[in-house]
Amino acid sequence: MKVPENFLYYLSMHRDCNERLLASAGQLKAEDLELSLQPQEARLKKMIFAVMGEVHRMKAFVRLQPHGTCVLYGYFKPRHRIEEHICDHFARRNAGIIIVLGNGSESWISLCREGRIWRDHGQGLSESLERLKSALPCTENGTNIQNPDVEGLWQVYYDSQYCPERRNLAAFRRQMPRRDQEAAGLRLMQNKKNATLNDFISD
Amino acid sequence: MVTLEKIAHLAEECRFDTMGPTGGVDTEKLSTLGEGTRHDVCASTFSPRETPLPGICHAFTQDGRCVSLFKTLYTNHCTHQCSYCTNAANCSRKARAFSYTPEELAKITISLYRSNYIEGLFLSSGAGRDEDAIMEKMVETARLLRQKHAFSGYIHLKVLPGSTRDHIKEAMALADRVSINLEAASASHMNEICATKSYESDILQRQRYIRDMKSEISETSETILPAGQTTQLVVGAAGESDEEIFKRVLYEYKEIGVKRAYYSAFSPQRGTPFENREAQPLWREHRLYQMDWLFRVYRFQPGEICHAFNDSGFLYDTDPKMAIAREFMDLPVDPNTAAFQQLLRVPGIGPRSAQRIVAFRKKQPIVAKAELTAMGVRIKRAAPFLKINGWRDTTLEMWQA
Repeated sequence: MKVPENFLYYLSMHRDCNERLLASAGQLKAEDLELSLQPQEARLKKMIFAVMGEVHRMKAFVRLQPHGTCVLYGYFKPRHRIEEHICDHFARRNAGIIIVLGNGSESWISLCREGRIWRDHGQGLSESLERLKSALPCTENGTNIQNPDVEGLWQVYYDSQYCPERRNLAAFRRQMPRRDQEAAGLRLMQNKKNATLNDFISD
Repeated sequence: MVTLEKIAHLAEECRFDTMGPTGGVDTEKLSTLGEGTRHDVCASTFSPRETPLPGICHAFTQDGRCVSLFKTLYTNHCTHQCSYCTNAANCSRKARAFSYTPEELAKITISLYRSNYIEGLFLSSGAGRDEDAIMEKMVETARLLRQKHAFSGYIHLKVLPGSTRDHIKEAMALADRVSINLEAASASHMNEICATKSYESDILQRQRYIRDMKSEISETSETILPAGQTTQLVVGAAGESDEEIFKRVLYEYKEIGVKRAYYSAFSPQRGTPFENREAQPLWREHRLYQMDWLFRVYRFQPGEICHAFNDSGFLYDTDPKMAIAREFMDLPVDPNTAAFQQLLRVPGIGPRSAQRIVAFRKKQPIVAKAELTAMGVRIKRAAPFLKINGWRDTTLEMWQA
């Protein structure tokens, strides 16, 4: 990864970042930080890359489910303060649809309409979904619309991409550690008859 | 912040179509048509219609390959006789024939996209009974996605061999990338693996159509085909050497202007005429990609890359860059004075590390290996070829008489 020009934005989202750290980092330029070998600046780079890495993983692995016709929601519990950034990303990607990301204690809501983002910060995910359900006009003839089983379709498609001759679980786990597999709801094809000891050793 | 109730009020009503009740899609069809593209490769997800993400992968297969696209055949019914393919007319163990409709395929794609499983659609197909009719359906699918569903994600359309110029033009207007698979390194190799396709008129001529139409439209400063044209070869089905593949790929890059070539190691499938042929080792595919990278990204000359082949024209199962460095690098390279291209030729130094070295040495000289390691150089591989601050590692050759 390369240190981006707007590295202060990513640094500010790190869970250990504070005003003093931001003030000292504000004196630096991105290209100086990229080449620096000083321990303090190496620590800043590590923090920036940790946030950028988590942003990239969340954009890749968070799964959204439809709720009615106007809402997409997903479970979300990041390590760093990237909630609004990720929620806005999905809102821009699905303009006109309300995005709700959250967990048991907090939720973040975004809507992108005509290039503008509207945001709210709520309590738990289920509570926010209940409030939206009662507030939304998007029900057909007053009844709830049955949403498709997108996860089921995805699992069928994902299994169809399996090539037994290319099986390489070490490479798979390097690219997608168990934490990311669970976040993405991935279920590997069961191959119990041909299982070896390596299948049970996690990295 | 605004209230949740206000956000609900602002949301557009019935913004996207639903697919209907669960079970509206035949899962056997989804699985069979998905399997048909297992060996097709596309490593891009770039669409300029939305903010591009750097190489996003939404999932990985059990061999570490990225799954970012919904890759599927439109139909697995095919009249061609490709001897390696399970959908070929002459395969004795063909699966049941299925086909999507454009509406169904567009709805599945948009549902997967909205749920963040994919960045886009990769649509290939068997030729059916008439490749023009199938191409029309594939283009209709892309049109529905772009116009009816306002889809701004990535679309890669496969051009069927023998498609008309008009269909290709329509596909180019809607897709981010188009491709037509070469499969073989030459016409004689193509005759061996598929007698029903003409290498020159069905494949190469279509690639030239794409090249010519892209440059005509680009002259009017209209953006078209932002991810370009690509191609793919099956490696080892017809006994071609790596050097023959390299010569064909050079032609593709220089004359056709493909963005990149992909390689798929031949794997014999049951029921096909080639089921008893030897499977190609995956390392051969890996070494071809490394060779391709040296030409396309590192800008090595063809004359340098030829030294990576053995006398029979095959690559060894070692890094071709190392073989080329051993052949050409007689003197050690000083990272404080070497040109960027010279640094790139050192094993263990890639484009990013070479850029950092060039930027770093403007401010202060490089005096230790640890500094190079901090810049991303793989010092164990690079050290035998470097002279840092007047010092170089001892090598066995220095002690030989």
